[in-house]
Amino acid sequence: MRLLLDSEQLRVLNWRTNNSDIAALEGPPGCGKTTVGSALAIKLIAEGIAKRVLLVAYTNAAANEFGWELFHILGPSSANICIRTGNPTGVDPTLPIPFSRSIDIILKKRIVISTNLSLKRLPTMRFDNMIIDEAGVERIEHLLWPFWFGVDRQAQAAHRNQDNASAQINDLMELISRCGTVATVVGDPKQSRPISPINSDYSAIEWVMKRSHWDTLRISHRLPDRLSGLVNEFANYDGLKSAPEIAPRRLTVEVPPDIEYRDIIQPDEVVTWVDVNGNERPMGPTSWANELEAKACVKISNHLSKIAPKKTKVIVTRFTAQKHIIRNYLQRTGDYDTRVTTTTGALGTQADIVIFSLVRNNSERNVGAVGTLQDLNVAISRSKEKLIILGNFDMMLNGWTAASSVSHRKSPARNLARLVESKYGKIIDTPRVLHN
Amino acid sequence: MSYPFGVSEGERDYLAANTVHDVMSIALPTTILDNWQQGAKKFEWVDIAEKMEKDSEDIVEKAISNAQEKIKTEEKALPSKNFNLEGFRADVEYRFHGLLVGIAKRLMTHYEQPKRALTEVTISNVDQHHEGRLDAALEFYQRQYGVLDWKTNNMNQASTGGKDRWQLVSNILLANYRYSGDENNWDKFRFGAVIYHQKAYLPDLPIQQDWIDKVKNDRQFAYEVLCGGRPYTQKPQFCPICDKGGESSSECQFYRKDSRLAYEGKLPPEYARIRAQLIKRRYLVLDERAETHKHKFVIQTMINNFGEKTALEELENTCIIYGNYRLDSVEGNSVILTRNASVDRNNAITFLEPRKVVRIIGREEDIPLLASVSEKGFVKEVDDSKLVIDLDGSIAAERAKQQHSTLPLTIIPDEINLTRRVLEPMHRFHKLAAGVMLPPDL
Repeated sequence: MRLLLDSEQLRVLNWRTNNSDIAALEGPPGCGKTTVGSALAIKLIAEGIAKRVLLVAYTNAAANEFGWELFHILGPSSANICIRTGNPTGVDPTLPIPFSRSIDIILKKRIVISTNLSLKRLPTMRFDNMIIDEAGVERIEHLLWPFWFGVDRQAQAAHRNQDNASAQINDLMELISRCGTVATVVGDPKQSRPISPINSDYSAIEWVMKRSHWDTLRISHRLPDRLSGLVNEFANYDGLKSAPEIAPRRLTVEVPPDIEYRDIIQPDEVVTWVDVNGNERPMGPTSWANELEAKACVKISNHLSKIAPKKTKVIVTRFTAQKHIIRNYLQRTGDYDTRVTTTTGALGTQADIVIFSLVRNNSERNVGAVGTLQDLNVAISRSKEKLIILGNFDMMLNGWTAASSVSHRKSPARNLARLVESKYGKIIDTPRVLHN
Repeated sequence: MSYPFGVSEGERDYLAANTVHDVMSIALPTTILDNWQQGAKKFEWVDIAEKMEKDSEDIVEKAISNAQEKIKTEEKALPSKNFNLEGFRADVEYRFHGLLVGIAKRLMTHYEQPKRALTEVTISNVDQHHEGRLDAALEFYQRQYGVLDWKTNNMNQASTGGKDRWQLVSNILLANYRYSGDENNWDKFRFGAVIYHQKAYLPDLPIQQDWIDKVKNDRQFAYEVLCGGRPYTQKPQFCPICDKGGESSSECQFYRKDSRLAYEGKLPPEYARIRAQLIKRRYLVLDERAETHKHKFVIQTMINNFGEKTALEELENTCIIYGNYRLDSVEGNSVILTRNASVDRNNAITFLEPRKVVRIIGREEDIPLLASVSEKGFVKEVDDSKLVIDLDGSIAAERAKQQHSTLPLTIIPDEINLTRRVLEPMHRFHKLAAGVMLPPDL
């Protein structure tokens, strides 16, 4: 077993092991929410506190991350006690944890990993404890399926027999908790918002935080010092900092970058903003694309593959259409390895180098959805060594979004532009090599 | 509108009934049509049914193994703790045989062999906010048609309380739309039939106007509720669910009692608060669900404004839908589609990604796009020329092969129906709260 936890993670682990309630764990980017969740599941089983633990995530990517984390901690023996279930097309085929939808096999395992959507397929079984990840993107009702798997019929019956049972319960969560469900709801409301017909709707984690105990992790094991500083100030995390061994980390390359790319890739600078002035175009009813930015992303990515072939890369954008254009260009250059994802899909993932394409650039200065706190926060906080932002700098600095139309000074996009320019990064003009 | 309160499952098992539906969906266009004997006499009915049954043995076998596969992965599909395969097989065969006798007895005696049979046809009449799935449609000479509905669960016609009639009329309106583009056009309509165990119900023609009006009024009521309106509620004089103790009646009674107590102010305030919260969230989920239908409205609005040809070209150009696919082959639960080689490969911006839910529509001539034969599935693999789509079981894949293999295919985005997945746990917690918090005397 190999497990290194920082002091905050240990505190949370002990807190959740010794309490049988529903509580929230807020985790800024890279603070090890998935690690703590996986470690907690193992500790609960190892100490005999729980016979069966459920690990749930909203996306398949995050559910797979749970699997990898369990494998890293337990090694090959993870296959004996853990099982991944759900939709087979969403399962990482390289995951060393077995996958099954067979009821007989699932019932034999102690730790079950699933996406929220696939829970309905699970057989009738009770979990003594559960960890629900990505609760920032979910709404209250999405938590109810996992919670149902924790309801203890005996506790429920005992409560029913009590006099004046009704008066002791004031809230839905109190009811669920009293019926035996024990859960740790993990997420970060500053990284994602629930998709909801009401704009001001609470996310599931905010709902739990309002009604129960919660704790926050503040040591990032992903972001180097400059990035953790940027993310901390941008999202107002109140003290997010890098772990000491991570803080000085910088990009290392095997050969120096070509002269045209030197300013963009410069390894000592953690955050570089390339001021690309490509035109946006609408793609379908709600999506946008920016051809020049897409080509620039691919050129930079190809060059990084040449000078740092061992580094993992991910290209992030807010819009699905842009994602497809970039992926198409990458495949034309024979690159099938670089991951391209939307900000929603990027939740729970990380890479050595992140290239972020902003896309929006128009004369009305409408930044639109790309300017929301959660989307920007996710995009800038995936990188372990280097973040390259591609997009019109002036657009972000002086643009507006529907949410900030009253005062553009409060716009998250403007805030990000100001922080990068003033403290945490470098703005560079588009080099000639990216012009077409 | 089926699950506004999250009452999503009846008290009876549906595994055998669903399996018979699967069998019928494959057998009707093949073995049943092949053995169709117009004017079959009374002493021949059982023989014809047995002949069809014998010819359908492979289909039954396939449907049963498909059901077994479901049992393996979904415990809830298990009809009972005492389930055994032989009993299940006998049950399926008994129900199937009953339907075949019903067809021989009531349809073959009156109608000539149809030219074609289509099964499990989803029809969306967007302009009228009406969507449904026909169990089967029979097509006759000069595009005349009949509409069929199987009753594989309730084998006793007399116990249905007449509700099957409304479903049939509703389906006939959809079929009218499919074949003429207008739900009020009855020119080519020949008959509608509900097939029960060894019998059938065929309403006299023409269909009574007050029946049609009732279906349309109820449809409008459902639409107004879903739009957030407050239409005047009229409880039917007789409700087969509540008044006769039909399926789901205990759940229905629970909500009726719950609402009455709330109206009378008899609920403890703590429970009333939780109840109100759950009801509010349910309506939000319905709002959200309305959003998931928007692509169909986009497509239909474009067709209404620009005509089908231009609209579909534009929709393909803007990558809202994808055309030029053909069904190449079937592998297990999956269908493999290939794209016409002449299509511009540069246009690769697509919603077609693994796990996206899509509807495969076979483009039939002179049939509205959203009323053509279709299957729902999710994308398993995609590249420039090939698309692999996983359907709901091998029977659905087989059906797609039967109905789609000669047609040009268009792929449109579709959405998982999240309503049940979200409403069901709400329903469970609502009942849990009532069980724990309500005093026994309430």
